[in-house]
Amino acid sequence: MAIFDIIGPVMVGPSSSHTAGACRIGYIARKLLGEDPKEIRANLYGSFLTTGTGHGTDRAIVAGLLGMKPDDMRIPRSIEIAKERGVKVLFGEAKLKEAHPNSVQLTLTGNSGNTMELIGQSIGGGRINIAEIDGIATNFSGEYPTLIVNNEDKPGLVAQVASMLSNQGVNVATMQLYRNQRDGMAVMVLECDQQIPRSGIEKLRASEGVTKVTYLNPEDEK
Amino acid sequence: MVYHSILDILKLCKDTNLSFWEVILQADMESRKVTREESYHTMESMYTAMRQADQNYDKNLRSSSGMSGGDGEKMRAFNESGKNLCSDFTALAMEKALKMAESNACMRRIVAAPTAGSCGVIPAVFLSYEDMFESTRDEIVHALFIAAGIGAVIAENASIAGAFGGCQAEIGSASAMAAAGLVYLQGGDENQMVQAASLALKNMLGLACDPVGGLVEVPCIKRNVAGTVNAISSAQLAMAGIQSAISPDDVIDSMYRIGNIMPYALKETSEGGLATSESARKLCQKKTGE
Repeated sequence: MAIFDIIGPVMVGPSSSHTAGACRIGYIARKLLGEDPKEIRANLYGSFLTTGTGHGTDRAIVAGLLGMKPDDMRIPRSIEIAKERGVKVLFGEAKLKEAHPNSVQLTLTGNSGNTMELIGQSIGGGRINIAEIDGIATNFSGEYPTLIVNNEDKPGLVAQVASMLSNQGVNVATMQLYRNQRDGMAVMVLECDQQIPRSGIEKLRASEGVTKVTYLNPEDEK
Repeated sequence: MVYHSILDILKLCKDTNLSFWEVILQADMESRKVTREESYHTMESMYTAMRQADQNYDKNLRSSSGMSGGDGEKMRAFNESGKNLCSDFTALAMEKALKMAESNACMRRIVAAPTAGSCGVIPAVFLSYEDMFESTRDEIVHALFIAAGIGAVIAENASIAGAFGGCQAEIGSASAMAAAGLVYLQGGDENQMVQAASLALKNMLGLACDPVGGLVEVPCIKRNVAGTVNAISSAQLAMAGIQSAISPDDVIDSMYRIGNIMPYALKETSEGGLATSESARKLCQKKTGE
């Protein structure tokens, strides 16, 4: 473990998993949505649901979705801030089966109408895992530059993505492939060691069979 | 420069003729591929954040559960009366431990060290030392590197999470880390630093994590005071030349093994211990009744 995971992080209390991790889920979710949300539905599960209020989990998630980082002192007032900005916020109970005890299911609508549904898990020490996006299972931390490609489940798409990354000199750290059914819709999640230039991402967006490309750059959050 | 045990660190100190804190700093530079200045500056910024958190304590704040707040101010007033039997330094450290842990419960900004629940111990010892004695900012930053090195070994060979090892992993680790750093500030040598850490951690072995209502409040806040005073007394034992009969790495390994056999009910699940006491039930009822 890095020494600044031992002395640090600087964070708003009281809990690294229930407050800092919750905020980070919101923060990464906003990045994945690609814009400010105008409507947030946060359904809590497990320990997030039972002890969330006392830990400020609800406020931390909303704070992250408003673009605040875990050390932002405005976290306790985030729900009021959302109201001031005209963001609609709803909380509920998530009906999940055997999910991680610190899970939240987010249903988001962005300012320009983008929608996204995801499940985030706070796995301890402020670290998180994005476990599902738009109904398809995923598994990534948001700590690396992450490329998420939704595409039709047909031959050649993985090769296209791989060759784009190779042309840009980007090394793949982890790669996961999922699909909802054969010949249906698939999703690739690639965590990379380097940032992916915008041109590469635009090229992918224009590719046949690719329905959506989401790029998460963790750099500007530090 | 890589270390996986306390013994590794001591060996590196000997082989390279570098001081303890310098070994930890250089290992960080290598593992994260950062410059010396970056590593040093980051640690300094952690200390600055601790200082700010201490200064931002608000005696009127209460946690949303209503269980916590205001005790740091009570301690300050008692210390001011001159009736605290502890030395001025220890009295101040007790006050600062309460203030930091209460600030955490009240959603203020703190530095997890090693966790949010145990965030009071290290700043209590180091901030109080800076306030009471003539130590430079550099010395305090060095002490933080030493504390971080001890914590990193504990995290690797045991755990710093209550959910894995109970409170011994959180307050126990914080106390061991603070004790080693304090020995450095008092002018002790490398062996005395790790002896202090061993002594402090031994005293905390087996400690359950049984928070009321699952919240980082009861007993966590006051346990930060226990961890602080334990760190100070352990450092004094080490400075007196007293040795731990069990080696530092064996103490850490013992903590790991105790964590493994500790019942699930005592690992931050609130299914046992204080969390299921009659008083806790009443506190939780009161909370939901509001």
